[in-house]
Amino acid sequence: MTESANSEPVRAPTQPMTVPDGWQPHIVALVCNWCSYAGADMAGTTRIEYPATVRLVRFPCTGRMNPLAILKAFEHGADGVLVSGCHPGDCHYVQGNLVARRRFTLFRSLMDFIGLDLRRLHFAWVSASEGHKWARVVREVSESVHAVGPLPDWDDQPDAEPIRLSELDPDPVSEPSATTSEVLDRIRVTAANLLKSGEVELFIGYRAGLRPGILAPTMVTSSDQVGSLEFGEGAVHNLAAYLADAGDREGRVGMVAKRCDVAAVEGLIREGQIRREDVRLVGVPCGGVVENGEIPAKCATCSGEPDPVCDVVITAPGARGADAVADSEDPRDRQVAFLESLPAADRWRYWQTQFRRCLRCYACRASCPLCYCSSCISEQHRPQWIPTAIDEKGNTAWNVIRALHLAGRCTGCDQCSTACPADIRLDLLNRKMALEVESQFGGGLSPGERAALTEFRMDDAEDFIL
Amino acid sequence: METTWRLGDAELRSWLDGLVERGSAVIAPVQQEPGLTLFAEIAASDEAVLEPSGKSRWSPKEFLFPRSEALYQYTMDGSAVQVTDPPEPERDQVLVGVRPCDAAGLARLDDSFLSRRVDPFYRRRRERTTVVALACGGAEPECFCTAVGGSPVGTDGADLQLVRLEDGWLLRALSDRGQTLLGDDAASWSPAEPGAEEAVAEIGRRVADEMACSPVLSEWSELLERGFDQARWDELAWSCMECSACAYVCPSCSCFDMNQQGTAWGGEQVRSWDGCTFELFTRHASGHNPRQNRGHRFRQRVLHKFAFRDEDQDDFRCVGCGRCISVCPGGMNILEVVRNAVAAAEGGRDGAAR
Repeated sequence: MTESANSEPVRAPTQPMTVPDGWQPHIVALVCNWCSYAGADMAGTTRIEYPATVRLVRFPCTGRMNPLAILKAFEHGADGVLVSGCHPGDCHYVQGNLVARRRFTLFRSLMDFIGLDLRRLHFAWVSASEGHKWARVVREVSESVHAVGPLPDWDDQPDAEPIRLSELDPDPVSEPSATTSEVLDRIRVTAANLLKSGEVELFIGYRAGLRPGILAPTMVTSSDQVGSLEFGEGAVHNLAAYLADAGDREGRVGMVAKRCDVAAVEGLIREGQIRREDVRLVGVPCGGVVENGEIPAKCATCSGEPDPVCDVVITAPGARGADAVADSEDPRDRQVAFLESLPAADRWRYWQTQFRRCLRCYACRASCPLCYCSSCISEQHRPQWIPTAIDEKGNTAWNVIRALHLAGRCTGCDQCSTACPADIRLDLLNRKMALEVESQFGGGLSPGERAALTEFRMDDAEDFIL
Repeated sequence: METTWRLGDAELRSWLDGLVERGSAVIAPVQQEPGLTLFAEIAASDEAVLEPSGKSRWSPKEFLFPRSEALYQYTMDGSAVQVTDPPEPERDQVLVGVRPCDAAGLARLDDSFLSRRVDPFYRRRRERTTVVALACGGAEPECFCTAVGGSPVGTDGADLQLVRLEDGWLLRALSDRGQTLLGDDAASWSPAEPGAEEAVAEIGRRVADEMACSPVLSEWSELLERGFDQARWDELAWSCMECSACAYVCPSCSCFDMNQQGTAWGGEQVRSWDGCTFELFTRHASGHNPRQNRGHRFRQRVLHKFAFRDEDQDDFRCVGCGRCISVCPGGMNILEVVRNAVAAAEGGRDGAAR
């Protein structure tokens, strides 16, 4: 429930959680109507005994299962959640459970990453005839949840040293390569030509910002305005975020595109938000951007060379080049690995410290080129999947679902974490999801390829499923 | 009675520690992560970041107007419904190290929540709150308080004022509440030497020169309203991404949304921050939205800060902290928008950024 800013801070018990005598867990089981629900029924009619710890919620299909339903169960105090449906190949709707399996894989790995003890979260395939299996699954799940104990209060704030990743912060590149005035001149000339020839109606670029080195997005509509365009290391914005709206316009749109921006434009095209022929991309060499005096991690592995898919490619010095980054690795991978090496409770603490700061301003959503839904899940009120209260539960639900909705689609431009006024490491969540998608399903971001969560294979791994 | 003292660092710290010991919630800027300072309750004075310049990422308004708060809670047992009020605040709170812009922002919040219909939830926190302002010894690039009638050494909304001098601190009591907070400690402090006031004014002039802002004129309010229907708003708001980072970091934004959240057995009525740049903010149940596009929505934000006000009010709602500029993911600069909107309403050309 809500926490008023001046209420007493809740002190968590310093000793490890102990399981009270005689305590029985509350487990919410989200089951598919056609298999597991009938399987539970079968267990009952055949008089099989199993622990009375589960409360069943019947869904049409595991494919309908929204991760937010699982989060909702935890928000309302469930100690554990079990999701169960038809075996692969048996789905009443042919493939719902296969789509669900991928979603569970990523959801489970994300929940693990933010510190949920996985002994609380289980998945199973139980068919309508498997009354015995249902009883066994419930027994196993009950024992597993019992071993972890009651779900701690969400607003517990243990008195422990904060976990800092800053020691792992690398300095990927000491200095950005300077953008030459040649690049800027050619951006202006190209924009003027595109506008003058009627090739584009609108050109999106950067203009001078609050202070030297800081740039802001701008649009120009006539060739005599191109003198206001600027470019340099302050070009942190991904201008592709403005393209989805531009799709409503009649004419074509031109855009200055760094390498990371092009990836997002391709995402928009792949997902049918804009048409390739409606944009004119002006690819520019980029020597790395600078945010708050530092080069962000995303630039560490980027050559900065203009992407050849652009309609106009400005070849000029300025990019670091493929050779310079050939041996670089994404510095966040070490941070992800470090967090994964910690006990789940520490990860929970690390992320809750950050989620607690979340103001729910949705700057992450607004700045993301691929968050284009006209009505966001956070704005849905019937049912209200994401609590509107700006507190631990609502903030966790929002940050989890944002990362999950971008899983397999995120192009790694880091606009969300740049935009976040609370400095939540959204880029780390995105990176974790990208690594997971890569290792579980491979690829998924090439043109013409479908995103990982809209695809499935019969032989997708399912070693975590009971 | 003495109202201005000269304190050493140790004296200031020991006074703050004394407040903590006596059971007040002492809330001060605390470094959360490298580069991120926020107001939080401190357990000891050395946690407080009291620097000559720099500000917390967002204002301390959440300690008077929390991001979310339950207005009432209820439980249902069959047909029996029991409604309970949220608990009264149990402790006094002292906001320490509040920048003059933020203190002025609290005065704007008082105007929203206390001047007409009194909001009891805000009032009971406000009544137990003392504000210790911290004068600015330097300006950040986004600062523009002097453009909207503020001052780097302003005292609007403050009960006490701290000024960092080259050697030690100047502490000024500005209200009875502030005087009360000093308690017995003040007896052992040395009074400020004559000329201290002039030293403070000099700091104010120096920092104002650093900012070098030309003023937003009072008569612009009318011009902005006159330009309400001009088509330029779409263009002025073009890069707005329609989040509400600006409203949530703002010291004076006070809009909120109400929601019921609960189960079959009980729940609560929750009031949470909301922002006028969200499409959902004004969408009617019918689906109609009187503020149809981002131009309309950003216009509301600008006009609410700089135009809409009662006839007897002199102050803008904007206090010039500039946070909305530094956090904006779309690179919007409200001061620039105001100048451009006024220029457009006057039929002139674009205004400058400062």
